[in-house]
Amino acid sequence: MHETDIHDLSDDADYAASQQQGSASIMRSDSGRQSSSSEPDGAEVVYSKDNVTIHPSQLASERISGRLKLIKQGSALFMTWIPYKGQGSNARLSEKDKNLYTIRAVPLTEVRSVRRHTPAFGWQYIIVVLSSGLAFPPLYFYNGGVKEFLATIKQHVFIVRSAEDANVFLINDFQNPLQRTLSSLELPRAVSVVSDQSVSIDVGESPLDESQESSSRNVRDGRLSTLQYNGRTRLKPQDPARDLSIHVLEKFSLVTKFARETTSQIFGETHNNGFGAIEKRRYNHQSSIDHPEKASNSAEKAPELVPVAADPLEFDEAALIWGKPRQPPLGPEEWVSFLDSEGRVTDSKALRKRIFYGGVEHILRKEVWAFLLGYHAYDSTYAEREYFSVLKKSEYETIKNQWQSISPEQAKRFTKFRERKGLIDKDVVRTDRSLPFYDGDDNPNVNILRDILLTYSFYNFDLGYCQGMSDLLSPILFVMGNEADSFWCFVSLMERLGPNFNRDQNGMHTQLFAISKLVELLDSPLHNYFKQQECLNYFFCFRWVLIQFKREFEYEKTMRLWEVLWTHYMSEHLHLYICVAILKRYRNKIMGEQMDFDTLLKFINELSGQIELDAVIRDAEALCICAGENGAASIPPGTPPSLPIDNGLLLYSQQDDEVL
Amino acid sequence: MATSGNKNINAKLVLLGDVGAGKSSLVLRFVKGQFVEFQESTIGAAFFSQTLAVNDATVKFEIWDTAGQERYHSLAPMYYRGAAAAIIVFDITNQASFERAKKWVQELQSQGNPNMVMALAGNKADLLEARKVAAEEAQTYAQENGLFFMETSAKTATNVNDIFYEIAKRLPRVQPAQNPSGMVLMDRPAERVASASCCS
Repeated sequence: MHETDIHDLSDDADYAASQQQGSASIMRSDSGRQSSSSEPDGAEVVYSKDNVTIHPSQLASERISGRLKLIKQGSALFMTWIPYKGQGSNARLSEKDKNLYTIRAVPLTEVRSVRRHTPAFGWQYIIVVLSSGLAFPPLYFYNGGVKEFLATIKQHVFIVRSAEDANVFLINDFQNPLQRTLSSLELPRAVSVVSDQSVSIDVGESPLDESQESSSRNVRDGRLSTLQYNGRTRLKPQDPARDLSIHVLEKFSLVTKFARETTSQIFGETHNNGFGAIEKRRYNHQSSIDHPEKASNSAEKAPELVPVAADPLEFDEAALIWGKPRQPPLGPEEWVSFLDSEGRVTDSKALRKRIFYGGVEHILRKEVWAFLLGYHAYDSTYAEREYFSVLKKSEYETIKNQWQSISPEQAKRFTKFRERKGLIDKDVVRTDRSLPFYDGDDNPNVNILRDILLTYSFYNFDLGYCQGMSDLLSPILFVMGNEADSFWCFVSLMERLGPNFNRDQNGMHTQLFAISKLVELLDSPLHNYFKQQECLNYFFCFRWVLIQFKREFEYEKTMRLWEVLWTHYMSEHLHLYICVAILKRYRNKIMGEQMDFDTLLKFINELSGQIELDAVIRDAEALCICAGENGAASIPPGTPPSLPIDNGLLLYSQQDDEVL
Repeated sequence: MATSGNKNINAKLVLLGDVGAGKSSLVLRFVKGQFVEFQESTIGAAFFSQTLAVNDATVKFEIWDTAGQERYHSLAPMYYRGAAAAIIVFDITNQASFERAKKWVQELQSQGNPNMVMALAGNKADLLEARKVAAEEAQTYAQENGLFFMETSAKTATNVNDIFYEIAKRLPRVQPAQNPSGMVLMDRPAERVASASCCS
């Protein structure tokens, strides 16, 4: 982690301001206290906020509003959230649902952290994470009050701002900061602390009921069942490393679920869509889930519950909740709905989001890729685009003519040109030649591929041609068909990916470094394994990153993945999360077989054609959400494919390729 | 480094050479017995292993196949560091690839393991009508620089197993003082023991 110091909240102006408001809120809540006479004797309501709402699904109609309170009883502070009775209810939300989500008197001693979210649009919300690793659904503050909530907590319990994430507030955190390397993920603490947490997620009928049996029963038959699989965390206290990895996975699942629920979706989605199946699988894997209290007493069962290398996918599948299920690709009818009468894309963000979740039908790619790559502007009209293409075609011809006009006599005296042309000639004849589009002798498309690459090496003479570029161009030409449009789309792509080919490899190093940071964040045991094997340079991911997984998937799937990546919807750097997602899928095999660097490189090269694309995208989405700001902070500014900062200076100050 | 124990030798071998000289094709022919007319370019590096029985010993080659473009040159030391053997590949139909091969030899001589067994492979030997590099020229160069030379064809499999077999034979008795040079004749009968004993 970057820093281990604990930041005191008092150095935060934002927080200082909130403290003043905090005292005001206590006065307000005092007045509220009269209305809540149902509190037990000796209990004092120190904070009360109305219209704190949870969103069980993305449908605006499915929202449950309630009152959030902090109650002081003796020296203990409790948090409650009780939904309003009968108010704003609708057919889809039963009283049972409300009961399910009700938070009855959770002692703050069992709260691990509170994460504050302040979206640019919409309501502030918090996610309360318990020390068991369980978390409550996001609580949206329709009337504000997050600052006061935190300020009130500070007056009663020990709370510090996480050194790694200014929006995470750690409660009861007395541990050595060095032990908190994973706290950015709000991971649960050591196993001994985790035991007997069930009480805190008691959402059943009996508040403050400490019976595990009752709580696990109540949880089991409701939606929160996805949260109740921490039975496993208690299985092997003798192996903290393993437990930790399980925690990571569980935490991952957990946050994913909430993120899925918090992230607004275009498409209504039922809870049975995708997730039910996963839950079923989980139950099949874990017969003990129904009896966590039994499992906790029988440590000898642990090995069969935590398969290490038997089936690399099984464990992860059991432990993960996927990202959002993939949608069918965007089709022509729906595409038209994104355009106004003159052909402008009215809501580019919605379009990108739609493509992120499903890709594009092939027939639309020619049109849509031009937007995604930035060749056409979203707000351009049909007519403007047509005109623009004509202009750009002429511009392309001018650049192309620069090398076409080189006579054989001139070429004799132009080593660099001959070298580049030779290199490109060698590569185009072995780029995707098994595809009908490029196969056979004297295939004109192979010549077009060569012409575009040679023209690009003149357009961007400093960068020139580098192996891998033909892989990046091939699908673009296949989709666009037209030579000039393909060239400019390729130019747009290279604006972002050009640094991959820098002579000093800095673009690649930055990305491989970011992968290492992300794995450290998202799968600490795997990170430690790579460290132990001296694999932290992540060169085994080199091909993945350099050509955007082009060699890892069949052609159609590569195109699907690329359009998803190009939306930059979740992150500009989704490809790095894809890397992490693939590594996580095979983590048990990698570690179980004790692969060293050589074996790992071989293994990863041989994964080509075997990776399940949709699953990996879903995992990557989940990882991206899970990593949140910490993930973004792991990726240095300017990491490809971020656009380089245009400072008006040279874009590529490359040395010429020398022959050794 | 070659490491031995009970006559089982593990040897790291690296393939170096110009773009399109046929590095990947050679290794694929040796390891999988395959040949693809349009073998795609190598991105980053690829790793293979293959075992040969040589006399009374077993040599397991751990083979690093590298990207040929000069742009990726900075990655090369990562692959040849600690290698017990190297095959420097050029294309007999391309003079520039021979010049590039010489540069690789120089680099390995100055940077590589001093006991490294080096082989020079003049690949695409099936394309005799397009030959640009004379066998004598390459052989003389090899002799002068302490490597052994073979003309190979990944396409026809000519001398492919043989060049690995020859390296394997030289591995256990690597001594800096010894003169490891000497041309291996192209028309020498192929030693079938190599392919027959492949077991990885």
